[in-house]
Amino acid sequence: MDGRGGVDRVFTALGDPGRRSLIEAVATRGTATATELAAELPVTRQAVAKQLSSLADAGLLHATRAGRETRYEVTPAPLEDAVEWMVSVGAAWDERLAALRRSLANKT
Amino acid sequence: MDVEREILVPEAPDEVWEALTEPERLEEWFATEVELDARPGGEGVFRWGDGDERHAVVRELEETERLVLDWDDGGSVAIELEPVVEGTLVRVVESSPEFAPALGLRALAWTAAAA
Repeated sequence: MDGRGGVDRVFTALGDPGRRSLIEAVATRGTATATELAAELPVTRQAVAKQLSSLADAGLLHATRAGRETRYEVTPAPLEDAVEWMVSVGAAWDERLAALRRSLANKT
Repeated sequence: MDVEREILVPEAPDEVWEALTEPERLEEWFATEVELDARPGGEGVFRWGDGDERHAVVRELEETERLVLDWDDGGSVAIELEPVVEGTLVRVVESSPEFAPALGLRALAWTAAAA
């Protein structure tokens, strides 16, 4: 994890329901451009482009130039740390609680 | 984001409590080397065999009921004991609040990938 700054950017980017649904829309398509998304969402292309750009700044979307358009895809990289944390902490507790059970049994 | 675990042990809460708060007992299951001043505001140092070391401060302590440690990395762990007919229900919640918004999105990306 790249420290609190990165986490804060993710927080801010996800705080807006419109941005969340935009990420959902990109994730559903795999990749998408502002034009493609604006065609299916009740917002202007300009508004979508602005939101996509800020999501890319937050590291949640990866931007690639495709001719005159910018194509976006979801980059779960900043989120992988969170998932990794959950898996490793969960596994650690499974082990510890099994050890706690053994430790208690040995005392009685 | 929280990780939650629960186990049921046949021992009574006061027996489990000793295993949660006495350093030499904690060394049997929690970490390789433990220093813990088990009172509110007390400090704890936990070391593991792989060289990992974590520092904590006791945020809450209610004898035989509840122990909450704040880790120095911003996370926390709460361990609650509930007396039940069969013994004690041990509930652990480890939190790392800064990850909270990320998880839903990750699940969403997975859902999309699977679709």
